[in-house]
Amino acid sequence: MTSAIPGQSTIRRGLWLIVLSLIALAGIYVLALQHTPIEARQGLAQKIFYLHVPAAWSALLSFGLVGIVSVLYLWLQDPRLDLFAASSVEVGLVFSMVMLTTGPIWAKPIWGTWWTWDPRLTLTLLLFFIFVGYLSLRAALSDRSERARFSAVIGIMGLLLVPFIHLSVYLFRTMHPTPIVLKPSAPSLPPVMLRTVLLSFGVATLLYIAFVMVRYGMAIGQYTREEADDAT
Amino acid sequence: MPPDATPQNGQYMVAAYVVTGAIYLLYALSLWIRARRALRGSDK
Repeated sequence: MTSAIPGQSTIRRGLWLIVLSLIALAGIYVLALQHTPIEARQGLAQKIFYLHVPAAWSALLSFGLVGIVSVLYLWLQDPRLDLFAASSVEVGLVFSMVMLTTGPIWAKPIWGTWWTWDPRLTLTLLLFFIFVGYLSLRAALSDRSERARFSAVIGIMGLLLVPFIHLSVYLFRTMHPTPIVLKPSAPSLPPVMLRTVLLSFGVATLLYIAFVMVRYGMAIGQYTREEADDAT
Repeated sequence: MPPDATPQNGQYMVAAYVVTGAIYLLYALSLWIRARRALRGSDK
C-alpha cells in the first residue's frame, strides 16, 4: 500500500521538471551553436559564455537563497528551512562545478592561461570550498538541531561572499570581464546574442528549481522517517 | 593568421559544451537513482 510520505509528490513533480529542463537545455545548445552568430574577436570560444554565465547565476542564486533561508532558520527554527538550505547547497555546487570548469576552458584561448589568482576567480573558488565544507559538516554531525544550527551559520557566511563576488570586478583590479547583462544599465550585447543568453538564464533557473524540488522532496522524506524512528 | 581574423578555438567550445552536459546529466541521473530509492522506500 502506498503511504502518504511528505515529499513524494514534490519528488515526482521535480523529476518531470528535470526532464523538461534538460530538453530545454538541449534547445539552448542548438540555439547557441546553430542560431547565434560567432563573435569576431573571441571566435567560437565566446559561445562558452551561454553556459558559463547562466551557471554562475544559478550558483549565486542557490548560495544567496541558502544564506537568506539560514537567517530565517535561526529565527524561526523550522526544520523545513534547514532542509531547503541543504538541498540548495548541493544543487549550487553542481552549478559551481559547471562555472569553475567552463571558466578555465574559456580562459585558456582568450587569456592564454587556464587559471589566474584573480579576485573574482579566487573568491568563487573559496565560496565553492565553503559549501563543500557545509555538506561535510552536515555529514559529520548526527544531532539534527546542532547540524541545522551550525549549517545555518556557514550558510550565512557564504551569503556574505555572494555580493563581493558579483562586485569584485568593480572593487579590485581584475582580468575577469565586467557584467554585460546583470548590470544597472542596459545589456551591452547584440539583440540576437542577448536573446540566447536570456533564454539560457531561464533554463538554468528552471534546472535549479527542478533539481532543488527533487532534492528537497527526498530530504523531507528522510527527515520524516528519522522522526518516526526516533519516536518508536 | 592575419591580425583581424577570427581565432580558431572551436575545440574549447566543444569541450565546454560536453563537460557541461555531462555534469548536468550525471547529477540528474544521481537524483533519479536516489529519488527512485526514496520513492520505493515510501511505498513499503
